Order: sequence, then C-alpha cells, then structure tokens
Amino acid sequence: MMRRSIWPALLLVILLGYPFVFSTPFQQRLGALVLLYAIAASSWNIVGGYAGQVSVGHVVYFGCGAYAAMGAYAHFGLSPLVGLPAGIVLAVAISAIVGVPTLRLSGHYFSMATIAVAELIRLVVTNTDYLGAAVGLSGPTVPRNIFDLSFISALPYYYLFLAVLAITLAITWWMTNSRMGFYLRAIRDSERAARSLGAPASRVKLYAFMLSAGLTSVAGALYAMMFGFVDPESGLGILISVKILIMAALGGAGLLFGPLVGAAILVPLEEISNSLLGGKGAGLTFVVYGAIIVLIARFQPGGILTLIKRQLERRAGPQAKDAQAVATGAGHAP
Amino acid sequence: MKFEHLLGLACAAMIATGLPGMASAEDKVVKIGAVFPMTGNAASAGIHAKYAIEVALDIINNAHPELADLPLAKNAGLAGLGGAKVEVVFADNQGSPATGQNQALRLITEEKVAALTGAYQSGITLTASAIAEKYGIPFVNGESVASNLTERGFKWFFRTTPIATDFVRVYYDFLTDMKAQGAKINNVALVHDNTEYGASVAGTIASGFKDKGLNIIDIGYVSNATDVQSQVLQLKEKNPDVVLMISYTSDAILFAKTMQAQDYKPPLLLADDAGYSDPAFLKAVGKVSQGVFNRSAWSIGPPGSPSAIIADMYKKKSGDEMDDTAGRQMEGFFVLVDAIDRAGSTDPAKIQAALKATELKPNQLMMGYKGVKFDDKGQNSLASAVIIQLQDDGETYLTIWPKTNAVKQPVLPYKGW
Amino acid sequence: MSFVLVQVIVGGLLLGAVYALFSSGLTLVWGMMNIVNFAHGDFVMLGMYAAFVVFTLFGVGPLAGVPFATLLLAALGVVVYFALIRGIMKGPMLAQILGTFGLALLLRYSVFWWFGADFLSLPQNIVGGTFAFWGLRIEAARLLAGVVALVVTLGLHLLLTRTALGSKMLAVAEDATAAQLMGIRPDTMQAIAWAIAAGATGLAGALIATFFYIVPTVGETLGIVAFVTVSLGGFGSVPGALLAGLLIGVIESLSGYLIGAVYKDIVVYALFLSFLWFRPQGLMGKT
Repeated sequence: MMRRSIWPALLLVILLGYPFVFSTPFQQRLGALVLLYAIAASSWNIVGGYAGQVSVGHVVYFGCGAYAAMGAYAHFGLSPLVGLPAGIVLAVAISAIVGVPTLRLSGHYFSMATIAVAELIRLVVTNTDYLGAAVGLSGPTVPRNIFDLSFISALPYYYLFLAVLAITLAITWWMTNSRMGFYLRAIRDSERAARSLGAPASRVKLYAFMLSAGLTSVAGALYAMMFGFVDPESGLGILISVKILIMAALGGAGLLFGPLVGAAILVPLEEISNSLLGGKGAGLTFVVYGAIIVLIARFQPGGILTLIKRQLERRAGPQAKDAQAVATGAGHAP
Repeated sequence: MKFEHLLGLACAAMIATGLPGMASAEDKVVKIGAVFPMTGNAASAGIHAKYAIEVALDIINNAHPELADLPLAKNAGLAGLGGAKVEVVFADNQGSPATGQNQALRLITEEKVAALTGAYQSGITLTASAIAEKYGIPFVNGESVASNLTERGFKWFFRTTPIATDFVRVYYDFLTDMKAQGAKINNVALVHDNTEYGASVAGTIASGFKDKGLNIIDIGYVSNATDVQSQVLQLKEKNPDVVLMISYTSDAILFAKTMQAQDYKPPLLLADDAGYSDPAFLKAVGKVSQGVFNRSAWSIGPPGSPSAIIADMYKKKSGDEMDDTAGRQMEGFFVLVDAIDRAGSTDPAKIQAALKATELKPNQLMMGYKGVKFDDKGQNSLASAVIIQLQDDGETYLTIWPKTNAVKQPVLPYKGW
Repeated sequence: MSFVLVQVIVGGLLLGAVYALFSSGLTLVWGMMNIVNFAHGDFVMLGMYAAFVVFTLFGVGPLAGVPFATLLLAALGVVVYFALIRGIMKGPMLAQILGTFGLALLLRYSVFWWFGADFLSLPQNIVGGTFAFWGLRIEAARLLAGVVALVVTLGLHLLLTRTALGSKMLAVAEDATAAQLMGIRPDTMQAIAWAIAAGATGLAGALIATFFYIVPTVGETLGIVAFVTVSLGGFGSVPGALLAGLLIGVIESLSGYLIGAVYKDIVVYALFLSFLWFRPQGLMGKT
C-alpha cells in the first residue's frame, strides 16, 4: 500500500517543480497548456473512459465555459471568472438535455449523435450576433485588476490549472471508488448484464455525462481566460472534441492519470514540432504528428499508460490487475 | 518494449532540440517574426505570404537601385542600423487562435524578434497581437480586415490595409461612376459566407449602402460549401442589378462553376478581393468569369516600373502571379521594416515611435494606397483600393477605376464565358 | 409548384447521389467491421488527386482517371488494412478513432507536402457541358456521378446479397470465429472488403473532381457529410446510404433555397437528431 501512494506524490512534486526547471516563458506556457488539456481530457474521461460512452461532441461543454467567461466580460464588463459558474450550469443543463435522448443510443450512434449536436450548436452560435457570431468574443487584454485573470507570465495560469486539475482528478478518484464508479465499470463491460443485476444504468450514465460536461466547461472557461478570445471554430469546432478524445485515448482512457499522460505527450509534440517545422510551410508538422499517433494506436491501442502499468506490474507482482482490466476494456464498442 | 524506449528517446530528443532558447542573434541582424497559416484551410494564403515576405527580404537585404523610390531598396541592409540585415522567422498558426498566440509568444521570448507581422485570419491576428501588446512588441498587420482589431485601444498594433469602411466608399463611388455610364445599380445582392471576414464585411457594406439609398438583397451561405446551386437560383430569380461576392477561394470557384452551369450572368459582377484574387481562382475558372470586377490595391504598372519588377521577382519565387493579398502583406512588412530603419534601433519603444511617425507617399509604396499614415488607433488613414477587371479572355486583371489609375476602360455588361 | 423549385429538387437529388457515392465505402467498412474510419474524407481526396495526376500527366479525362483512382485506392485500402486496421480493429473503439484520425492527418499532409496547398481544378466541362431540357439545367459531370452512384450502390448491394463472396464477407462480419470454422479466412475477406470500400471511395473522388475543386483539406468538408449520411442510412446498409444521401441532398437544396443557405446544415443536423430519437438504428440499419 505504501508503494502505491508514492507515485501520485512523485507526480505532484514533478508538476509543482516544472516551471522552475523549465523556466522560459514558452516552456512555462507549454506546461500550462498540458495541464489545461489534461483538465479537459480528464473530464471527458469520466464519461468516455469510465462509462465507455465515446462522446465526440464534448467541445459543446468546453464552448459553454469559454463563451460564458468571455460573455461575462463582453456583455456585462464583469471578470471572466464570474462567467465560470454560469458556464458550468449551462454545460450541465445542456448535457442533461442532450444526454437523456442520446445516451440510449448504442456505440457509434451515440458518437454520431454527439457530433451532430456539436455541429448544430456551432452553426447556431455562428449565426447568433449576441454571441459574436463568426467574429467571436474577446476578453480583457489589458487587465483592469487581478480578477480579470489576464497575465503576461504563464506562471499564474500554470498553478491555477494545476489546482483545477488536482480537483478534477480528486473528483474522478472519488467517483471511481464510490458506488457510481462500480456501476459505471459494470455498465461499460456489459450494459445488459449490469441492468439485469439492478444497476440504474440510464441514471448513472446521465450523472456521469453531466459531471463530465460541468468539468469540461471549466477547462473551456480557463482556455478563454488564457487566450482572451473565443470564436465558433476555436470554442465549438469538432477538432477540439477530437483533440480532447485522442489525448485521453493515447494516454489511457479509463485510467485516472491516462489523460494527463496523453496531454503531456501530445501537447509538447504538437507545439514543438510546429515550432521546428511549421515555418517551412510544407505541412510536415502534421505528417510527423499523424505518423506518431498512428504508431501509438497500432502498437499500443490501450494507451501509453497501460504499457507503463504493465511494466510496473511485472515488477510489483499481480496486485494492480484491476487497473489493467480497466484500461484494456475501455470503450469497447458493442 | 522497444517501442517504449523509442518513444522516450523521441520525446527527449524533441525537448532537447526544441525547448532551450535558441536566441543567438548577431548584432548585425534584425529579427522579425511572421505568423501565418501554413497548414489548414487557409494554408495557400499563408504560403503565398511567405513568398511575398521573402521577396521583400531580397529587396531590403540586397541593393536594388532600380527600385530606388521604395525605402530600403537602394542599399543592402538597413542604413539606419549600419547596414544590418533583416531576418524573418516564420511560424505556422495552423488556423487556430490559440496556436497563433503560442507561436507569437515563442517568437517574442525565444527568438527575441524585434517586431511581429501576420496573421492573416482576423481572429488569429487578434490573439497574436494581444500577446505582443502584453510584451510591448510592435505588431504590424497588412491584411486582416475585421474592424474590431483597431478598436481595442492597443498601443503596439498597426494596420496598413484598407478595411470594410473603406470598401463601402470605394464600391459606392465605383458603382456611381458605372451608373453614369448607363449601368443600373439600385438592387445590390451581397453574396457572402458566414465567416468573420464574410459576415463583418457584408454587414458594413449593407449598412453603408442602405444609407446611400441602395436596395440590399442579402444571400449568406456557410463557407466551404459542398453545393451553391440554391444560391445561384435565388440570384437568378431575384435578378439584382449588381452582385457583390464576398467569398474565399473554395466557394468562389464553386460559384463560378455553378453560375455557368445554371447559365446565370448578372449585369455587373463585383468581387471583394479574397477568393477572386487567388491565382488558383484564375487558373480554375478564369475562363468562365471574364469581366468580373474585383477590389485590389495591387496593380502592375508598365514594364520597368517598380511594381512590374516586384511582380516579376514574386513570380520567379512562387511560380504564381502576384495578387492583392500577397501585396498587402508585403506592403505591411515594408512599412514595419522602414520604421525599424528610421528608429535606428531594435528597441521596441523606438520602433513604436517611428511607426507612429510613419508618413509614406504613394510613390514610396508598392501598393496603390494614397500613402501610409497611422491614426491614433493604429489604422492607416490613407489606405484605399482600386477596381480591377478580369479581361483578356480571363487571363489577367487590369485596373479600370478610378480614371487616374486606369489602364483600360471598364467593359459592361458581365461577359462570363 | 414553381419551376425553379423543380430545378432545386433535381439539383438536390444529384447532390444527394454524390453524397451517397462517396459514403458507400464508409458504410461498408463501418457496418461490416465496426470500424469508424476518420480518414474516409481523405480517401475521397486521394481519389480526386489521382484523377488530377492522370489528367496532368496524360491529358486524359475521367475515362482513364476513374479506373486509375479506383485501382490505386483499392490497393491502398489493402495496405491500410494490413498495416493498421487489422491491428486496431479488435481494440477499443477509441483506438480506432486514434488510428484513423492519425492516418487522416498523415494522408492529408503528405499530399499537402507533395502538391502544395493551392486549389487545383480539372478543366471546366471535362465531361461535356450542361444539358438543358425545357429550361431544366443539368451538368453532365454531375449527371454522370449520379448515374454511377446508382450503379455502384446496386453493384455493392448485389455483391453482398447475391454472390458467394458477399455471403462470405457477411459471415465474417457476423461472427469471424464461426466463419473461420467454416473454412472462410476472415483476414482475406476483410482485406477484400477494404479494397472494395476504398476502391469505391477512390472512384467517387475521381468523379467529384470533375466538377469540384481539389485541395488537401477537402476531405474535412466531405468526411463529415459522409458520417451523417452513413449513420442516417444505417451502418452497413448500402441502399440505406443511397436513400440517406438523396434525402440529405434534397433537404439541403430545398432549405438552402427556401430558408437560406446559412441555415441548411442546421436543418440537416436537427432533422438527423430528431430522426435518431424515433429510429436509433438509422433508415435501413439493423438493431
């Protein structure tokens, strides 16, 4: 038991110390971005990984947060922070409305329905002048006070994001160890069996969906505060959904630290390959990026973290079998 | 388990090569950052911007006495900085406002650039210039037209291109002249996509035209459409006197093809730059768009004139004809470097002061602006545009308006194919 | 009914036939192997470039370009199956999304690297102008694509329902282990399915190239349409994809004309979602 608790502690030390070791502004911002995407991917993980419901439309909830934060500033002159709770409420409400009909759909139909909802909302927002239509909404560039959360250095963002990530992971951990987590695992392995054993499948899936949506909206709000801008493409575009999803999948869906690992690989990979190759204008960034994703999917379909876990397990003995099962079973299509 | 090692190695290598600050600038080099879309939907525009800036670099860094009217062309390097050479670090914004801002930050802090230019899409120019504002680094934009960019109270942002309010004036004056020549202009159809470019320009033009008493038919569509037949049929049915197209290349090509298929020719077809200026548009559908009018601030003068020489250099570099978008980007870059030269320093505050004091005459420009002089918002108050028409069997655009710039007479009605 | 409306509907049907044409390959692999192919739109894009290359090198139109694109993509389908799909199809759905999304980027930007980002186009009227019947105007290129869409749909349907090869493929789709016990090799059948699906997609791309622009990112635009078409039609149902394609084409065309083009995709998505509410398995899909 002692050995198991050493890893999160070590991780925490690494994360707390990163900005001091990698201290240039770009490196610090890179760290902040990793944490930001880790928040989004960890939130997605609750419904996509643990519940096995592969949502490809999570950008809707991301957008709720982003638009609420920027809207609070653009329309009411308030701090974007004020928009954050509004974004959570909005995201939870939309997820409930979307979840009730779509969660009864199975497998790919659920994924397709989430894509359609996301595209529908993106198109509606693009035509809504109040939400800035195609031009988007911007936040405060020149901060009026500290509550505008508009900083030059990435350091405040870094630690803010780290705190939010810690809360997200704590909620996830608490959930997996509660009755709800037990039900979710059962549903993911076989929904029919879980139902026949009396698990309230629809209700549990919906709760997971709403929880996931609420947390994703926080990531969206933080994103908008950092970049000071949201438009339909960057706040509601399908690419963001896919990006969140592949980070979780690449790291290990259904594992607590999987999304963080995925973000820690993909975000630097994308930013650094772009920095090195992007200026040439030959599209090489995405040739490299695409090739690496293909290789990981081909040789490690359960995500990077399953590989590492298996290594540790082999050394530690058969204790962590449980986590292994969680990882490989993630998101089986029925 | 080899795979794991390989991956670790790859990550380590990337961090080792990519992360440490790579700034080792020599004294004699002025570094400027350029953020453009090099991948994604707008990549074509970004790559042509890169060619344009590389041509500008050639003109600045080498002696070009034949272009002596342009500042910086005559001698090699920047005279104000003891002949220092200019180097441009290009970065890809990937069509994302977040990436654009990240790359702008990297250029400022890692590459230690003295100033920035870019970023084509207005939304990305917005986020990229925001980080420059925070760091106090001058940002000169030559091509983004969204009006809100210069309404933010920024102190480090300057824009040379004409914007939608300028277009209203140019189009209205042009159409009034055409009316004097017998064209009807009462009903104007605005065909525009719903991107920030299409929606904001169409909105400004619609309200401007309505104030002047013109009748507006608004036909919006979603950018990157798979089909535009319904829109062409709407146009055919409503039969406006003037059709004004505000479209990117993809949709512009589709509209041209569909108009021919549906045999629809408006009496007067006017385009708002963008897709209709893309050399790819001319190659694809120039033959079936003969006689389309287009906004441009770029026009090639007689052989031997500075613009003809630049057009030639650009063609050698890129393989394509110079177009208005590339030209505006190039002009923005020239204005920025000219300010650095006059500042005689790479100190941001001095460059900012020099930018504020910019006062270029038309003969010092490669573009057809009335000059470059920034108002207190950082917008070029002398920006303007001319109207060109696709003549010669759909091969080349020729300037036809205003009279002072015209090389040919406008031909009406729209010929098509 | 006004005459323009007839033109709108005919245009919508032709557009829908094109949607069906480039969706048939997707529905085949999606339904039969339960694989989500995020790279599908980029397969269409490759077909378009194949036709373009044939035209620029040899100056010949779709007559040669279409078979070339079909064969090239069929070969690519087999390669992709053995190199990637076989390894990820037994894994979780997430691994499939990951793998095919990575493949999409790889294909899109390899083409980008080679051909550049410029918009390309085959010469106007390469298939031969526009027909006009009593004022109704139909582009020959679109008509050709529409006819081929019907032929391909019929051909694929007959292949699956009337031939021994089709029965074997369906048997593998139903239960690979059982099929293996009956002496059918799942690997071979699935490779053939990928060859057919990718070949049909290449064919679609080459035909679309005759009236559309060609650019490396065009797959993004077309891919999402294919996704909606296939799920509306029902995963795995080739006739379903045809019906769904035609339906979407007409709805888009009509709503674009009557309400405004800005709203046509909103109408399509809203109808699609409400349809899923009543019939979660799509038009012709199995539960």
